[in-house]
Amino acid sequence: MVSFKLVRRYLGKHKVRSILTIGSLVVALFLLCMLRSLVVALDAGVRGAKRDRLVVQSAVSLFVDLPQSYQSKIAAVEGIETICKWQWFGGRHPTEEAFFAQFAVDMSELPKLYPEIAIVEGSFADVAAERRGCVVGRTLAKTFNWQLGQTVPLLGTIFPGPPGDGWQFTIKAIYEPTSSAVDGNTLFFHWDYFEETVESTMGMTPGTGTYFLRTAPDADQVAIAGAVEQLFDNGPQRVTCSTEAEFQAQFVSMVGNVPFFVAAIGGGVLIAIVLACINTMLMAFREQLHDAGILKAVGFTDGSVAGLMLAESLLLCGLGGFGGIALAKLSEPGLRAALGSMFPGYEVTGETLLLASALTLAVGLVAGVVPALRARALRVVEALRSVE
Amino acid sequence: MSEPMIAARRVFKRYQRGGETLTVLDGLDLEMEEGRFYALMGPSGSGKTTLLNLIGGLDQADEGELVVAGANLADLGSADLARWRAANVGFVFQGFNLIPVLTALENVELPLTLTPLSKKERRDHARFALKLVGLEGREDHRPQQLSGGQEQRVAIARAIASDPKVLLADEPTGDLDRKSASDVLDLLARLNEEFKKTILMVTHDPFAAARASLVVHLDKGQLGRIERNAAPAAPAARS
Repeated sequence: MVSFKLVRRYLGKHKVRSILTIGSLVVALFLLCMLRSLVVALDAGVRGAKRDRLVVQSAVSLFVDLPQSYQSKIAAVEGIETICKWQWFGGRHPTEEAFFAQFAVDMSELPKLYPEIAIVEGSFADVAAERRGCVVGRTLAKTFNWQLGQTVPLLGTIFPGPPGDGWQFTIKAIYEPTSSAVDGNTLFFHWDYFEETVESTMGMTPGTGTYFLRTAPDADQVAIAGAVEQLFDNGPQRVTCSTEAEFQAQFVSMVGNVPFFVAAIGGGVLIAIVLACINTMLMAFREQLHDAGILKAVGFTDGSVAGLMLAESLLLCGLGGFGGIALAKLSEPGLRAALGSMFPGYEVTGETLLLASALTLAVGLVAGVVPALRARALRVVEALRSVE
Repeated sequence: MSEPMIAARRVFKRYQRGGETLTVLDGLDLEMEEGRFYALMGPSGSGKTTLLNLIGGLDQADEGELVVAGANLADLGSADLARWRAANVGFVFQGFNLIPVLTALENVELPLTLTPLSKKERRDHARFALKLVGLEGREDHRPQQLSGGQEQRVAIARAIASDPKVLLADEPTGDLDRKSASDVLDLLARLNEEFKKTILMVTHDPFAAARASLVVHLDKGQLGRIERNAAPAAPAARS
């Protein structure tokens, strides 16, 4: 079709300008996709949270431990099926620089609490059989090239390890998360090993940072949370019981209003690129003014000439925008590997792709609408008098 | 007596220039018959190009009636006027006005994209038009790869591609050397004689005007005299 050919040829006429505009669109849309994916990653825990999981923590702060004696009292509340101690360990690998999370948990309760932890190598039974046994996420194992049966040494930054070898864990199972509620970069190990070691090295019984609860499917979450909080209204340590989603949301808010900053940066990038595209299309319009007059003289309607201008804008922005979107999707595995420890759920979701596609089309329409309207209103005689 | 191909009745066209109203066409009355080759002459500012633009539907008269190829142009809206132009009028401009990013064939094919013809039919029509103007083998050349005379012949091929009733030529030889100008005039004469196209050509050149069958003189926006060339000048000898 000559009309489409015409649009392509006009873009090809000023190759450098077209390439630069397309290049800036590629960068802008890639950035927008990446920034949104980071927010999605931060929010993954919240989105993946289950309604039937509750988290009990100190009413003072997440950094204040709860006594272990609370476990049996909480477990007695009607509607609670599972309760699991959950303690942040905060260890560091002696040689690897990359940080990853480790938790001491009631290993027997973990699979009941999180059925999303799907074991792909070894088994929970193997972990249970080994006092120093641990289960690690597949992403974590891949990052450090860990194998089943391998010993993982850790330096305790909060809890000093046993004299001599320090903290030693043996990988007895590797899991793959089946939901974004679970991070694939985590190491879980036995509460008993943790407690015994802390008692022997620090001379104290450790508390637990949180209790994770799983309720019966038809249980009243609000009533259970209220009952749990009421148990400790008079101390010794008051607690807050929230849904898993609320608990996860705390972490997102801890790093500040990230979605707002990302939206602000993304908005800035978008405005800059819209202005650049409008400028490009206005230049194109000025250069094609005479040709628009010719087209009208040979019988093209005002609308079809405007349509050509709009099509040129859409093609220009589409090439750049969809190029950026493709780049974001293609770079997803690499970025996930690179950002894994900080943004475990990094993924360019279908929603992000749709949003970016809609933005691309919107940029094309906005950039093309002014030149298109001008082309539409153009008087043939004046256009033919103009010189390119 | 058959209806004239072009009929202008009490046509006025005014422009505003620096707060002053300039009357370019001042109640012009004119009739042109189908199948004739007219030359439109007159001093600068006499309204020749303005009249041509009005007849071609590129501009609108302020007053009066203009009937061309059976259509009263004042009755047509912008889109209808564009469609009417595509079907009834072919333009040949002094500056050729080819689209620089398209090849000769694609330029000729351009008005045909507005017709219901298939892609192959459009190609065939465009090739035929280029052959008719003697540019066979130049189909894939861009305008900048052609001489002025060849560009003008591509413009003529584009003008006739959709088989319009009227050809409007505004100083078609103004930018050409003598030889190329003569070739273009030969071509216009042939289109009139063989294909019975009604041609209206604006020109300052008496040699070009001599190739038409009738010469219409405009003066201060009004019809002056009409001269009939008893025997239009023969094609110039090719050197």
